[in-house]
Amino acid sequence: MNSQIKKGILDLCVLALLEKGDSYGYDLAGSLARKVEVADGTVYPILRKLASEGIVSTYLQESQNGPPRKYYHLTDAGRKKLNVEREEWIKFCGEVNGIISEETGGKADE
Amino acid sequence: MNKTEYLNRLSNELGHMPYGDVKDIIQSIEEHFDEGVAEGRSEEEIAQSLGDPKELAAEFKDGAKFNQIMKKRKKMADSFKGPDGRGRIFVILFNAFLGIECWLILLAAIVAAFMFLAADAGIVGLLIASMIMGKITEFLVPSIFLVLTLICVGIFLVVLLILGIKYYAKGLKSYIRWNKHVWNYGLGEE
Repeated sequence: MNSQIKKGILDLCVLALLEKGDSYGYDLAGSLARKVEVADGTVYPILRKLASEGIVSTYLQESQNGPPRKYYHLTDAGRKKLNVEREEWIKFCGEVNGIISEETGGKADE
Repeated sequence: MNKTEYLNRLSNELGHMPYGDVKDIIQSIEEHFDEGVAEGRSEEEIAQSLGDPKELAAEFKDGAKFNQIMKKRKKMADSFKGPDGRGRIFVILFNAFLGIECWLILLAAIVAAFMFLAADAGIVGLLIASMIMGKITEFLVPSIFLVLTLICVGIFLVVLLILGIKYYAKGLKSYIRWNKHVWNYGLGEE
């Protein structure tokens, strides 16, 4: 898929993953890469950007094995952003699907 | 590529980013490696799935650029809410003592050129009319030369005026824009 289209929407995907609960980098990278065709590394620049915007906050938490993990938490601002953008995206998808299916329908008629 | 190689490549590609940021980024990717290894994956495998370090660095740099733009916008928006008083004082003083005077002098020059042109055209018209009516019997040849010279001067003035007015308008427009900017955001970075 076109990487520009994907880039814009991955922020939203990360927010949606965090809505289910706080998580750490490795876990988020895995969850994202399992569902979308992106490199595992992709999630880190996004998390960093979101953190600096105050969309997510971070805290350290001990793990059972190894050093403490950096956890990411969706802030109130992040939750708001997620809800707005999710709605926009679903609406946009509907509109695009409408156009695409009309196009193919028209061709089939000819 | 193992972990060390990957992190080295990444930190090289991050280039001019502030040291603290690079350290932070490297730390998070290092953590990723450690988590993967703890899960039983090999460093090479993890490096492979992380993607090209060059691309990853580019994404980090894009994010940083985006942040700078947002910060700048915020700064501009903030200064718009509470404008820098010095910027406004500067605009007022600059215009009172220099700015407006300069533009008025230039405007006066344009008006003067217009008057010259009008006088020039008037004399040319008068001379030609006199010649046609046969009023000029003496000095006919010098008069023809005078008319030709005055026509040349007229054309020169027309060209000068067209260019002058064009650049005057252009200059005034950007001067006003600059004043507005200083008024709203103060002196300093554009």
